[in-house]
Amino acid sequence: MSIAISGTARAARRPKTRSGLVRFTTEQPLGAIALFLITLFVVVAVLAPWIAPYDPLAQDRVNLLTPPGVGGHPAGTDELGRDVLSRSLYGARTSLLIAVATLALGGAIGLVIGVVSGYFGGTWVDSVLQRIMDALMAIPSIVLLLFVAALLGPSVRNTVIALSLLVIPSINRVARGEMLRIREEPYVEAARSVGCSTPRILLRYGLPNLMAPLFVMGSLLFAVILIAESALSFLGIGTPPPTPSWGRMLSEGRSQLEIAPWMTVVPGLILSVSVLAFNLLGDAMRDFLDPKQRR
Amino acid sequence: MLLYAGRRLTYGLLVLALVATLVFLIIRLIPGDAVRLQLADAPGVTQAQIDQRTAELGLDEPVLTQFGHFVSGLVQGDLGTSFDDERPVTTKILERLPATLELGLLAILFGVLLGVPFGMLSAIRHHSIIDNVMRFLAVIGMSLPNFWLALLLITFLALWFGWSPPLVYVSPTEDLGQNLVHMLLPAIALGAATMASIARMLRSSLLEVLGSNFIRTIRSRGASERVVVLKHAGRSSMIPVFTVLGLQVGHILGGTVILERIFAIPGMGSLIFEAVGQRDYPVILGCVIFYGAIFILVNVVVDLLYAVIDPRIRYEGASA
Repeated sequence: MSIAISGTARAARRPKTRSGLVRFTTEQPLGAIALFLITLFVVVAVLAPWIAPYDPLAQDRVNLLTPPGVGGHPAGTDELGRDVLSRSLYGARTSLLIAVATLALGGAIGLVIGVVSGYFGGTWVDSVLQRIMDALMAIPSIVLLLFVAALLGPSVRNTVIALSLLVIPSINRVARGEMLRIREEPYVEAARSVGCSTPRILLRYGLPNLMAPLFVMGSLLFAVILIAESALSFLGIGTPPPTPSWGRMLSEGRSQLEIAPWMTVVPGLILSVSVLAFNLLGDAMRDFLDPKQRR
Repeated sequence: MLLYAGRRLTYGLLVLALVATLVFLIIRLIPGDAVRLQLADAPGVTQAQIDQRTAELGLDEPVLTQFGHFVSGLVQGDLGTSFDDERPVTTKILERLPATLELGLLAILFGVLLGVPFGMLSAIRHHSIIDNVMRFLAVIGMSLPNFWLALLLITFLALWFGWSPPLVYVSPTEDLGQNLVHMLLPAIALGAATMASIARMLRSSLLEVLGSNFIRTIRSRGASERVVVLKHAGRSSMIPVFTVLGLQVGHILGGTVILERIFAIPGMGSLIFEAVGQRDYPVILGCVIFYGAIFILVNVVVDLLYAVIDPRIRYEGASA
């Protein structure tokens, strides 16, 4: 009886995947708003060269430090006469590129470590891997970033490598926890009993079943990476100069705080709204995936 | 209880040893030469001089030998001498440590003093307008980068009230009032996220406890709502808050680095930043170890606090 019920439930869920978005929107309105903002962020980042009103590096010598709306600059200009809005839009591009690359690199490494560690949970493999992860987590993120980024030198590639070190332990923890649960599931036991190899069990039965909590983590980590990348650029060791980035715009704005607050407010606001959107989406996905949270 | 504390402490030391090893290896594996960087600006530097300086700093020895020196120094509390000014690293760090600790503690204080009442209020009046506003503010508080918040505070206080934070750091022993005025803005900027996380976590854990059976029993015996929330539910709902606090210490320590830069506070953050610029390996290494040690120590303390609050944890820990 119970098998029949779960069977129909599963059968009923399949065709519903398309309406999943609709269900998510109605159950998690804040999450839907966040999803909209994120889509906007991605569109802006990808289309920046076409929608930005000016070249982000072009210097309008007549309009230095003009306030928003003056001289045809919707968000004002900085001390070199560069358009703040265009630079902010291009900054989204830099941030998105770095965040996606970081999540891909750090996520892949963290996932492998977590899945292997979880599957061999309780053995020496697990202990060794987890102690290394504990050590990585014990160093405050900015200190770790500062350390690695400064040793490698400022470049987009090195920023990605440094930021990955933040992603690896978090993804590892989620993946390991899920894998510890999954390895006790009957379907894993069945796979093992028919002679599937360990890599096959991990890839075919482990990975697909731990993706949901990873999406939640991924969204929250996206927010963390956006802030961390800006923090690095703010300190002058992240994205190197000609590329527009929010963090460096903030540090440039710092010297003009009282004369040109828009240099600080505009990129910071866009950064904060993006971070907020990823945090809200992560929360909403967690509540959506966890029936216990529905109150 | 003692046994449990001992186990936690041993584990913390193990992780700290791993941190030291990892950082040491990363520094030596990454290309970049401290000596060339130091002597690069000086005109007429010969290869012989570079070699001599390298030998003086012990950088010509094999990595494993260097690691041996480092470990034997470390257990004696000696982190070596700075490449920059030849002073002991431990001394340099201890000079800078108080400012960082003060900033961090003020930020935590700010976060706890506001976060706990906000979280409680949110849980008691849950699904009310106050609750919704607070939850929204909490998510925003968690999303604002602390350095941006700091810049905004500086800008708008200056534009609207004509007040700017003092530019020169004064140590608390010199003039406590002046020092606190300087620390106020960075502490608020740093503590905002902590406040938001505590409020969020306390709200959800308090709601869960308030819905449990033992609270219903206490209520049915006629306890006032104040006694229920403050005495009975409050204690049980504090555990997740301590977890959050332990995790927040990492963010706060990291945050001090960037806020010390903005507000010109001579703490460990400024020190590691300067050291990174000069490739002063012993200082970088020392700072990272100190940051790791503070983080691990706080988390061991948090673990012990769990055991104080919830006796089940200490028996489980001692018997295992």
